[in-house]
Amino acid sequence: MPQSLFEPAGGESLSANPFHTKPVGFFKDAFLRLKKNRASVISLGVILLIGFLAIFAPGFNEHGFNDQQPDWVNLPPRIPGLEKLGIADGGRVLTNRRTSDLNDTEKYPEGSVLEVTNRKTINGVEVADVKVNYYMMIGAEDQYFWMGTDYLGRDLFTRLFVGARISLVIAFLSVLINILIGVVYGAIAGYYGGKVDMVMMRIAEVIGSVPNIAIVTMFILFFGTGMLSVVLALVIQGWISAAQLIRAQFYRFKGREYVLAARTLGVRDATLIFRHILPNSIGPIITTAMISIPSAIFSESFLAYIGLGIKAPLVSIGVLLSDAQKTLLQLPYQTFFPAVLISALMIAFNMFANGLRDAFDPARRGEE
Amino acid sequence: MFAIGKYVAGRFAAMCLTLFLIVTVSFFVIRLMPGSVYEDPELPQSVIEALEDKMHLNDPLIKQYYYYLKGVVLDGDFGISVSIEPSVPVFKILTRRIPISLCINLASLILALPLGIAAGTLAAMKKNKLPDHVVSFLVVICISLPSFVFASLLQYFVAFKLGWLPIIYSPTAQTMEKAVSLVLPVLALSFWPIATVARYLRGELIETVNSEFMLLARTKGLSRVQAIVRHAFRNSCLPLANIIIPMFTNILGGSLVIEKIFSVPGVGGLMIDAINARDHALTIAVLIFYSIISLLTIFIVDISYGIIDPRVRMGAKK
Repeated sequence: MPQSLFEPAGGESLSANPFHTKPVGFFKDAFLRLKKNRASVISLGVILLIGFLAIFAPGFNEHGFNDQQPDWVNLPPRIPGLEKLGIADGGRVLTNRRTSDLNDTEKYPEGSVLEVTNRKTINGVEVADVKVNYYMMIGAEDQYFWMGTDYLGRDLFTRLFVGARISLVIAFLSVLINILIGVVYGAIAGYYGGKVDMVMMRIAEVIGSVPNIAIVTMFILFFGTGMLSVVLALVIQGWISAAQLIRAQFYRFKGREYVLAARTLGVRDATLIFRHILPNSIGPIITTAMISIPSAIFSESFLAYIGLGIKAPLVSIGVLLSDAQKTLLQLPYQTFFPAVLISALMIAFNMFANGLRDAFDPARRGEE
Repeated sequence: MFAIGKYVAGRFAAMCLTLFLIVTVSFFVIRLMPGSVYEDPELPQSVIEALEDKMHLNDPLIKQYYYYLKGVVLDGDFGISVSIEPSVPVFKILTRRIPISLCINLASLILALPLGIAAGTLAAMKKNKLPDHVVSFLVVICISLPSFVFASLLQYFVAFKLGWLPIIYSPTAQTMEKAVSLVLPVLALSFWPIATVARYLRGELIETVNSEFMLLARTKGLSRVQAIVRHAFRNSCLPLANIIIPMFTNILGGSLVIEKIFSVPGVGGLMIDAINARDHALTIAVLIFYSIISLLTIFIVDISYGIIDPRVRMGAKK
């Protein structure tokens, strides 16, 4: 039949309506979903705040993180302004003090006694628990240590945020190395498959089957404590889960038609791996990285507790916590601030990672 | 049946090989560390030499390793402690300390199971309602907070401020008081497993509830609760077992620090002390203990997978 007999059904206007909105890309899409998740937004805020403080807070006062001030040992927290409300007023309770000394201005300078409680008589001596302004008592009225000082008179505010800085650096660094190794290793194993895959995964399996405590302990005993060896100790087994994830992703995508098409066109292996297949895994990679950060922070503090953490002048949240643990009952504020900070960090990172996972992969929402 | 036997034997051999590797590496790592064990300047030179001779310290390392392996395999002799409890056999120290560690770890696991299962089931049944949100929130907190933060909180508030429970372990007390002083360490250790079990069970149940056999159960006339408890829950129990066993290794790791905080004379505190006091024989023995426990858990999980799911077994064959 000749073509002239046919005519378009819709008359002249054959073209489709043009799009009036901008296309939404992968990251924009994820970002839009993330923004709706209130918990993740708050978590991100907390993370950014702590990050900001970790970078700048050590400069907020004149004390260095390692300045020892023997005159001002174990001072309680004191913050200007707040002290009038009775919070962080430099007060410290001294138990079982002789009440007869209370008016002795040598021992208790004018105005230093805040409260006398729990009066009782022990062996015929009248004693009481005395809450004093510790700063006045030792003659440091004009000093303000916002989070108090430790047993060497070092300012805990500065130390806390220098510690947070180092903990975060260790966590980010170890996670970054883990992801890098994992991506390369998993990509090669997943892309080539077969024998290469089997051998590579067996090696990973053998390394992974060694108990974590044993391998980390031996590593640090051998290479000595220090920031670098802590980072590397977290890497020894850390990269394996990333590698397995990437490998699984490659198995999912390497058989797709678009990969076959690219290969038919003569694209090299390396380009196929990094340019065509790997970008599919960007969501899971970011999510895994975010989930690994709190566990790296935890591992670092854990190592500090068992005495394999970073070396003295340097300080981390874990070092602060394990130092403070020894005097928890007498000086609880020394434990309080690092404990709050590490808890906030861990909760924020976990919640943010959950939100990220939901944003990148909405099908898995609500799964844990 | 034969295939299962072969599979089990294979996994067992792999486990032994890993253990052997760990023993070897830890022996060499720890022996190659600088500094003699006997650095006490008070000791006369002759005594040091006699001691070193007795410990074969003057032989080449490979020979020392041979003696060590021979002692461990033939007589269960892990050497002698030099600084923690001088001249007491390491094996004796371990047998005294292991039970108490295992005790608090098992106790926290046993405590965690019913609580975690209850919380997870509740959250799954009231999905997206208030109980679910409360449980999910608590789960995030319990999973995020390190166990030593919980330990500090419990020690300060429950033991010190309220005075309900002893602050630290009391070694001299009677059996009953001893048990009471172990309550706080067990509690501190159990937050994480409770949360993990709850989270896992919630996800598992929510998935199962939508499956067809649940619909069948409902059409038979079972109520929602009946259907979940009798059918969905049973279905989720098997995979649950396989996350609980490896959890034991994790709790054991956590108890390293917890034992230190509460002064519990278990293996955890022993390892820290041994490392810091350079008591090498003891350090190696404790590392071996941890490795055995963790390899055993992996072994049990592998085997149970192999028995439940034949595909795993077949995969191992080729």
